[in-house]
Amino acid sequence: MTEIWLGVCSGIAFGFVIQRIGATNPDKMARAHLMLDSTIPKFMLMAVAVSVIGLLGLTSAGLGRLVIHPTSLVATGLAGVLFGAGWGLMGYCPGTCWAAVGEGRLDAVFAFLGGLAGTLVFAHVHEAVIPALYMPTNLGQLTLASLFGGRAAAAVLLFVLLLLAVWLIGKIWQGEEDMPEVEDA
Amino acid sequence: MPRSSKNGYWPWFPASLVLAGIIVFIFATFGPPASSSGFVALLKGLFLNISPEYAESKAHYRMLPGPGSWLMAFVLGMAIGGFIAGRTWRSTIRDIPAMWVKRFGASKWKRYGAAFAGGFLILFGARLAGGCTLGLFISGTTQLAVSGLYFGAVIFAAAMLTARLVYGKQRKESDHD
Repeated sequence: MTEIWLGVCSGIAFGFVIQRIGATNPDKMARAHLMLDSTIPKFMLMAVAVSVIGLLGLTSAGLGRLVIHPTSLVATGLAGVLFGAGWGLMGYCPGTCWAAVGEGRLDAVFAFLGGLAGTLVFAHVHEAVIPALYMPTNLGQLTLASLFGGRAAAAVLLFVLLLLAVWLIGKIWQGEEDMPEVEDA
Repeated sequence: MPRSSKNGYWPWFPASLVLAGIIVFIFATFGPPASSSGFVALLKGLFLNISPEYAESKAHYRMLPGPGSWLMAFVLGMAIGGFIAGRTWRSTIRDIPAMWVKRFGASKWKRYGAAFAGGFLILFGARLAGGCTLGLFISGTTQLAVSGLYFGAVIFAAAMLTARLVYGKQRKESDHD
């Protein structure tokens, strides 16, 4: 039961914060993708950068549970292209979908239903697709720690690279925009 | 530090520290957070009720937890968090994005159809990769996983390209009809 309450409370905090940064607003997400508004990409990458160091501290203290997904060159890449096409088309990703439905956006309800359909179809064809697309180019549970000799060194390197990416996005994207959401269709 | 925007959005830097705190808390109390798994958990719960043989026969439902799990609780919490945030939000919450209306008109069903198709793609893709923006890019990269970085780079590139195809060339103020 503790697990359920931890999950609900973590979800409430997460959903609230991503609404307040505008990640559940498809207008704001589209402007992020069109390089007009840098807030969401900077927010995401900075959150990951700090989490990298936080998790390093956690694992050094012997805490935390890790689950490393394998890298499949073909399947992970193809999945990313399909995912990115859907994300760029309508501006929700699976996580923001749940929060945006709660927020009361009707188009998010349709994205959610489409998501259930996509899950249903994938789960149905899993046994055929995974051996064909995923396994042949599966490189295993690769991590930067195995490539750069040690967790701490890899974490610090990744932290610096992510900060650099945040800085670059700030330079290249057109700025941070206020997207007025006041006028209605 | 940037000012908080006029329509109430939090400045990104402090917000990113808050989100990182939540992510590390989740790693400490559960493990890597994920949200596309919630879709699987929901369907698994449905099939366990209407056709348990089907749920048992499919590897994808066998490998992921059902409704009584942290993952299901987390995504329901996300919806509750979104609900609370929406109820306490002073700007209008739109059913169709303003940019979409400018580009494709105010037809609700065109937008809802595109949202459904996009929803299909993101979940089909996420289940193929084994995670989404949160479950693979954020969780994976936080754990230094190459899969997370690779997936993150591809989804951003593909989404940026798709947004350009969908919305066309945009100026600072969108000037499309």
